[in-house]
Amino acid sequence: MAFGTESRKRKAITRDVPETSDVESDAEFGDGILEGILSQSEDDSADDSVEDESDEEGDDEDDLEALDSDEIPSEDEADGVVEKRGSLQEDDHKPNYTVTTDANGGERYVYDEINPVYDSDDSDAAAATNTIGNIPLTFYDSYPHIGYDINGKKIMRPAKGEALDALLDSIEVPKGWTGLTDPATGKPLNLSQEELEILRRIQTNEMPEEGYDPYPATVEYFTGIEEKMPLSSAPEPKRRFLPSKHEAKRVMKIVRAIREGRILPYRPPEEREQEEDEDVHYDLWQDEQPRADHVMNIPAPKMAPPGYDMSYNPPPEYLPTKAEKQAWDSTDPEEREKEYLPTGFDALRKVPAYDTFIKERFERSLDLYLAPRVRKNRLNIDPASLLPKLPRPEELKPFPTVCSILFRGHEGRIRSAAIDPSGLWLATGGDDGTVRLWDTSNGRQIWSVKIGDEEAVNVVRWRPGRDAVILSAAAGEDIFLITPPVVDPETETASVALLDTGFGYATNATPALTAHGQRKEPVAKWTRPGSRLQDEGVLIRITVRTTVKVISWHRRGDFFSTVSPTAQKSAVAIHTLSKHLTQIPFRRLPGIAQTVQFHPSRPLFFVATQRTIRSYDLQKQELVKIIQPGARWISSFDIHPGGDNLIVGSYDRRLLWHDLDLSTRPYKTMRFHSKAIRAVKYHKGGFPLFADASDDGSLQIFHGKVVSDMMENATIVPVKVLKGHKVKSALGVMDIDWHPREPWCLSAGADGTGRLWM
Amino acid sequence: MGRVKKKGTAGQAKNFITRTQAVRKLQISLPDFRKLCIWKGIYPREPRNKKKAAKNATHSTTFYYTKDIQYLLHEPLLQKFREQKALEKKISKALGRGDAHDAQRLEKNASRPEKTGKTKYTLDHVIRERYPTFVDALRDLDDCLSMLFLFANLPSTQTVPAKMIARCERLCLEFEHYLIVSNSLRKSFLSIKGIYYQATIQGQDILWLVPYRFNQRVTGDVDFRIMGTFVEFYQTLLGFVNFRLYTSVGLVYPPKFDKTSDDQDAQLGAFSLENNSVGPIEQPKFQIANGDSKPDPKLQAEIDKLMSQLNEPEKPAEAPKIDEEDAEEQPTDTIDKFEPMAPGGDILPQPSYSATDPSTLFSNFTFFLSRETPRQPLEFILKAFGCKRIGWDAVLGEGAFTHNELDPAITHQIVDRPPIQVNDEEEEQSKTEDNQTAQRLRPGARVPGRIYVQPQWVWDSVNDEELKRPDFYAPGAQLPPHLSPFVKKVQGQYDPSAPLADQERENEELEADSDMDDEPDMSDDDLAVKEPKLLASEDVDASAAGMDVAGTDDEDSEAASDSDDAASSFGGFTDNEDEEEDEATSSAKQRQRELEAELSGVAIEEKVVDPKAKARSAAKKKAKEEDEEIKRAQMMMSRRKRKIHEKMIYSNKKKDAEAEVLRNKRRKIEKSGKAAPRA
Repeated sequence: MAFGTESRKRKAITRDVPETSDVESDAEFGDGILEGILSQSEDDSADDSVEDESDEEGDDEDDLEALDSDEIPSEDEADGVVEKRGSLQEDDHKPNYTVTTDANGGERYVYDEINPVYDSDDSDAAAATNTIGNIPLTFYDSYPHIGYDINGKKIMRPAKGEALDALLDSIEVPKGWTGLTDPATGKPLNLSQEELEILRRIQTNEMPEEGYDPYPATVEYFTGIEEKMPLSSAPEPKRRFLPSKHEAKRVMKIVRAIREGRILPYRPPEEREQEEDEDVHYDLWQDEQPRADHVMNIPAPKMAPPGYDMSYNPPPEYLPTKAEKQAWDSTDPEEREKEYLPTGFDALRKVPAYDTFIKERFERSLDLYLAPRVRKNRLNIDPASLLPKLPRPEELKPFPTVCSILFRGHEGRIRSAAIDPSGLWLATGGDDGTVRLWDTSNGRQIWSVKIGDEEAVNVVRWRPGRDAVILSAAAGEDIFLITPPVVDPETETASVALLDTGFGYATNATPALTAHGQRKEPVAKWTRPGSRLQDEGVLIRITVRTTVKVISWHRRGDFFSTVSPTAQKSAVAIHTLSKHLTQIPFRRLPGIAQTVQFHPSRPLFFVATQRTIRSYDLQKQELVKIIQPGARWISSFDIHPGGDNLIVGSYDRRLLWHDLDLSTRPYKTMRFHSKAIRAVKYHKGGFPLFADASDDGSLQIFHGKVVSDMMENATIVPVKVLKGHKVKSALGVMDIDWHPREPWCLSAGADGTGRLWM
Repeated sequence: MGRVKKKGTAGQAKNFITRTQAVRKLQISLPDFRKLCIWKGIYPREPRNKKKAAKNATHSTTFYYTKDIQYLLHEPLLQKFREQKALEKKISKALGRGDAHDAQRLEKNASRPEKTGKTKYTLDHVIRERYPTFVDALRDLDDCLSMLFLFANLPSTQTVPAKMIARCERLCLEFEHYLIVSNSLRKSFLSIKGIYYQATIQGQDILWLVPYRFNQRVTGDVDFRIMGTFVEFYQTLLGFVNFRLYTSVGLVYPPKFDKTSDDQDAQLGAFSLENNSVGPIEQPKFQIANGDSKPDPKLQAEIDKLMSQLNEPEKPAEAPKIDEEDAEEQPTDTIDKFEPMAPGGDILPQPSYSATDPSTLFSNFTFFLSRETPRQPLEFILKAFGCKRIGWDAVLGEGAFTHNELDPAITHQIVDRPPIQVNDEEEEQSKTEDNQTAQRLRPGARVPGRIYVQPQWVWDSVNDEELKRPDFYAPGAQLPPHLSPFVKKVQGQYDPSAPLADQERENEELEADSDMDDEPDMSDDDLAVKEPKLLASEDVDASAAGMDVAGTDDEDSEAASDSDDAASSFGGFTDNEDEEEDEATSSAKQRQRELEAELSGVAIEEKVVDPKAKARSAAKKKAKEEDEEIKRAQMMMSRRKRKIHEKMIYSNKKKDAEAEVLRNKRRKIEKSGKAAPRA
């Protein structure tokens, strides 16, 4: 249906609609009132969606209402109306009927078939709905149409009118002109007076419809309608007419209470407030009783009183220099030592307000209720009183202080050094495989023998006792027993005899058999080392299974023990010199054996593994004690000649003093070296001294006095650091020994020198 | 075998309670809990073992004593809080129903302290509980006064209602009146923060801070609700303290308050005190109750005796004024001086008002305050030290003795403006003109026969308990430094009032001089010297590396790894071993030389040694020896003791360094001759 065109046509008329309609209505009202109205109404039904003639419609509606009140038009009249309408609308449409003669010969109107297209008779549907959706109309600016209707037909752009029309538009604004364009139709949007009124009402929050009562008076369902007949025929009860006794009782109760003053009459609240406005003060501490503070109560500390530097005019020395000021400015406010910077003013009137006053007070109040309070004892004592009273080192003399003799000659490191029991000779063994003998009085080399072909001499030790001079040395798996040809012949023969007595036993001994009946491999072989060495004075060679690192002699000189840490079972071996017998006391050890010592007076045997030192009773053959120094890796230890104290050196730089009677834990731990401690040694000749040697190339001499009184602890005083050895490939001093009688200390260094400190 | 004890039922786990648990136990909101804690003086604790107290929870919380919280459970205020909470609920419900009338009715019962400045509850019982005796309350007055004086000077805002401020101001002024009447103000100090005052009431020293009269800067991170809670408590406290103090001197509390004169900024003058019929009540013999700072009992006994003596004359006196004659009649009032028995002991705080009675210091003078001086503190401090007649310029408000600057009774005028040179003629003119007509002088003109001083004169006189020389404090003069009277003099610490020479270490000046001598050299030749040095050291390194590359590398890495653990202490020995040897050898050489000289018969010329250098080297050597001794001893200390010792040494050194810096600065200033005279 060509609605578009029709509406366009009508559009052309719209501008003068008011006049025309008026004219029309006037004209119509003159003769036949009904026709014009109905025709208009039909027009309306067609133009409902257009809505450009709402004003006119309003008028029509009024008319319609007037019509309603009248009688409804009869059918014949309606017919006439239709007819007339047909004639009226001739100019617009051809008549949609043809006049024929019916069977009676009368006129018969034959109407055209109505084409029932969609919404042909649907007055509700919007007539020309633009289906382009919610897009700006400007997209269609370059087209003649402005969109598509429901049937896909183009909705043509309504004529904009000519320049004259536009001018007229601008001059006289039509009624209801809003200046807006209806986006749906593209036509100017006009609003009728009524619509504007509705808008105004909505804006002012009134009901859009005039006269609408949102809260009409309710008509009660039962009482609203007066019933003609009573629902119950029972007569009214008496109680409806008599006053209630119970109520009277209750009222009297209240009356009595008021009379007696139990119920106070109502007082206006304003008075009450006024009364409360005054502060009530009285002597709160009338009957004060001092109460002891609770033990746990900690009163808040008072604010610190101001110092000199907080003065508005402080002494000039308190004023910050430029650098101090800058430093103060650059630090974060929370890190500042003082929250204020001392400032000087030459007159009181120049002092400004302190800008963090409120903040400081606020922080103080936060401290008062938020900060946990802890009582802290401030030690207001002289720090010197904390220091232990140590005797001055001068009072503890003698102890070695300077290096007096240098023993040079070894190629490579000296691994071990020992002074013989007489104190005359010094034996050293080193990486070059030689054992050398030196004169301790002048540092000259007296004698040397090469015992290790390729291996270094790991350890040299003298046999204790003055009756014979026997030196034991270990190179690789071999232990050599040597009588150096430097002593007087008598002693030499005694020594040789001592070494040789065991040969008989060795030959007599029948080798043990294993479970398979085979001959068990002996743990050690005692043999002659060969004629070359024998000529040099090396009399016996004992071959064990693995490299020997430590030799330790029993005080009587008949036993000595060796340690080969790499061996599994036979790490610790005890050798009997008089029988040429080697025994393995431990089948299993908890850890790698490090070193061993015989107790200086009792039949005890100490074995150090990496972490612990175990002491065994050799007679009862049982474990006596496990000493736990707490070090990670024990390097060496030594037993005090008194027998009750022990020092332990460890690779983790610790020197530990153990009191064996006291505890298995160290009595004193000292950590003064920067590198591992290699060797520790007590002085065995009566001086209360001990020393340790470290990889940092230094020796430390301590004064360690052990008193016989059980109650008194040993006094340990560090007295001297001896430095002189050079550190070579992270090794410093390898071994130390004390002179048997003098307070002299001997050290063997990795730099190939031995030093005697006196 | 006893029963196995369940974990967490005894000891620390039971004694401590976290804040959340406490709030839940009390069934109140966190702000109410905060209020309760503030009022009841309950504070968090630090458990000795946090892990046990927290029952192995690791997040950080605050802990309270369970007993404290238990004690809060019985607090009557708790009930008030709950009632208020229920009421609020009712009001909001009524509002939700749209029942405005009901809501209004309920609202009348609600406490709205932010509007009315009043609460429905009182804190009297809390104060009685926290301070069982009056002296306890006095002891805790520091924070109270500081806070109230601050609030008295704040502008009113949403969170700080005007009524609260007015009440604070009133309480503060009442307290000041008491101090004036009883002459208990002792010291005062002008700091950059504000004015500190110290009063002694019943043997308790109370120190508080009053801000200068400026608009206070309020930063956003200040929560005035918390401050308000404190103020609420402090107001009640000070009210009761004031009552007690007033009645103790025979005055009626509250004093009459004249609203109109207060509106005209009369401040102290707005109150009129009146005697009550009873007269001053007898002071109970006070004793310093338990406190953490318990002094020596002997000294305490002395002071007690002394204070009771001091209190005696107050008993018969009806009026707060004590006549000078009366005071003189009491021969027992003399106070013993506490001299340290041994030299080097701390100087004891002397009982302060022995020499002059504070009520007579300004009693014979009439003061006039110029327009630019701070009237409020001056009026208070002058009145507190006996001045009866204080006049001030009319701009400074009501309540003055006189507004006439030319009043012949005026003996002192406090001026704080730079002097203006006025021609004599003009002065003459002005005199002839103005004397009769105007009350005001021309600027810069002076009335003869009157002492003009700057405000600091008042403070310094008060603190030293004697009138200072006014010529030091004349208008426009460079003022002597204003020193804090609160600093206790400790041996070895810097004291600006003592002469420099008394405080210096031996040879300090010499050292300082030499340092100064050295300094310019360093700064001048700094670059020039340093560079060649650096080069040289590099050369040495290179050669060493060439000799034994592998070895040094290893060592270096080892050293680096071990450096942190390397014992720091013992090294000292060998270092100065060399020096000792050097000295020995040098002395030996000297001897050798002498011998040679003797042999050859030539008089040996004395080597002229700079005494400064000698002193310096001697001091250095001594210090080194001492240091070594300490280190040796330190080695033998247990780890814990060593730590303590190190800390003490550190703090002592810091203090010494501070003092030395100050001494150095002062030395420089004194040398430059710019120093102000020290009074």
